[in-house]
Amino acid sequence: MTDFALDKPGKSRRPDLMAYATLSLISAFCAVPFFWVLLASLDGNAQLFLSWPREWTLNNYVRVFAEEDGARWVFNSLFVVGSATLLVMVLAGLGGYALSRTRAWWKQPFLYAILLIRVLPPTALVVPLYKILLTLNNIEGNLVRIFVGGDTARAIMRWIGFIDGYLGLILVLATMQLPLALWIMKTFFDGLPRDYEEAAVMDGATMLQRIRRVLIPLALPGLAAAGLFAFISAWGDFLLPLILLSSPELQTLPLGLFRAFLRVNTIDYGFLAALAFIYLMPAVIAFGFARRFLVQTFSGGVKG
Amino acid sequence: MVRSTYEKRVARQLLLILSPSLLLLIAFVIYPAVYSVYLSFTNEALTGAAALNPRFVGLRNYSRLLHDAKFWNSLLVTFLFVVGSAIIGQFVLGLISAILLRRNLAFKQLFSSIILLPNAAPEVVAGFMWISMLAGGENATLSRIVMFFGMTPTDWLQTFPLTMIIVVNTWRGIATAMILLTAGLSTIPKEVFEAARMDGANPSQIFRRITLPLMMPTILLYMLISAVSTIAVFGLVYALTRGGPGGATEVISIYIYNQSFTAFQLGYGAAVAVVALVISLVLGIAYVRAMKVQV
Repeated sequence: MTDFALDKPGKSRRPDLMAYATLSLISAFCAVPFFWVLLASLDGNAQLFLSWPREWTLNNYVRVFAEEDGARWVFNSLFVVGSATLLVMVLAGLGGYALSRTRAWWKQPFLYAILLIRVLPPTALVVPLYKILLTLNNIEGNLVRIFVGGDTARAIMRWIGFIDGYLGLILVLATMQLPLALWIMKTFFDGLPRDYEEAAVMDGATMLQRIRRVLIPLALPGLAAAGLFAFISAWGDFLLPLILLSSPELQTLPLGLFRAFLRVNTIDYGFLAALAFIYLMPAVIAFGFARRFLVQTFSGGVKG
Repeated sequence: MVRSTYEKRVARQLLLILSPSLLLLIAFVIYPAVYSVYLSFTNEALTGAAALNPRFVGLRNYSRLLHDAKFWNSLLVTFLFVVGSAIIGQFVLGLISAILLRRNLAFKQLFSSIILLPNAAPEVVAGFMWISMLAGGENATLSRIVMFFGMTPTDWLQTFPLTMIIVVNTWRGIATAMILLTAGLSTIPKEVFEAARMDGANPSQIFRRITLPLMMPTILLYMLISAVSTIAVFGLVYALTRGGPGGATEVISIYIYNQSFTAFQLGYGAAVAVVALVISLVLGIAYVRAMKVQV
């Protein structure tokens, strides 16, 4: 397609050259920072600046798991972000269906509200959020301590606590991804004909049967898109774990990475780069899968 | 209109399956937003006497805001950050990429994959990668690039801190702009361009008189949504500069964080947060109205 811009008749080779040159420059700008992570992570003598490794090694990766708590950070991140993603898929699947099919008065206000919720900056919410979670956590802690004593209670709270516990971080991370996921699923169900459901109703299926047998199979592409975007965004989030987690046992990858960098005098760049690369890969892979949904998700509103 | 019991039951069931989402959003987004308005009228703190006994102080936090040079600085820094990275940097590079990638070029897929890559990098990783580009004086990658062209290197994050976080955020968001603008471009019918060429319009005329005006709605939406999401950027700047040196990169989300978790002044931090919430909501409402959503 030669729609416009630099395309002049008679000089047909030059515009293409210009296009390639411009795109190469932009691509170089985008790609160069990634080289450092990749090269430094494989360099036995890694420095802060970009250099070609003289001594190639996988030792940095080994050290992430052998010398530091890398395995725990990876597990924590996968567990917390994975659970949040599953929760988002279930809630947005159900909620998106309701938003698509309902004709109640609250449909429009709710949809406007989730669009507006998406624009609120999370930093502006974290202080009150922290106080709310702290209150919930204290109530919950007292309840737990009625039944079990000190150490056991602490172990239980690590899983179900709202502050410095898996459950709190999972719920808050999931909530932050819900508005976009609900929007994706609502739009998705809008595009599904009601015929199938009506047929199922005729056959006497209950709401739950309809969801399990008819809607979930039909909704899988939408759920995949909603889940991938929730995963990518929750995986990259730094603010919430920074504020909600303090125990070393619960540290996730962004925190481990950030704190490794704060050891100012003894920054170990090879270790840091290897850790950064491990943290980067799941996001890049998920992004690769999400790519075919990008246009319809980002532009969903634009054409509307 | 007569509604059958069956319809009523379905309506109830739909509300029921939406309610978990509704509950979470109210508990962890709406209530905190309202609560931060309340906090902004108190002298709530994390330490000291006020921590034990927070009092209602009326508008005192807000009048303090008016005279707080650091607050005005953070508003100005945020404004420049948004204009520099979202409105200019990401938009210009995203538009160029979108236009060029519509052509049938070789390696088209490769180019667009590379441009998408920064968008996938988690904030903290993006921050560290750019520290390696920018810090370290003459050894920094950027310094070596400018020295190759015979210019003088510098300690980038110290000398041009704000420009550098604008560059880094531009880098991170080219893909979003490219995707949105590509979608906008694809809604312009090809016949329009053909007709213009038949009439002898040159490429720059076509761009100015046809492409830009027809893309205006898309561009406006892009500007609003990217401005809002740039105001919310925290981790990227925090990993790069933590607001320094001397407040030069203290965007409003960093300022809120510092007031609340470094200075422990929750009430005052909440007042700043309310300002950020109001600005974002105003832009958000403009976005929803411009979008003319059919909900």
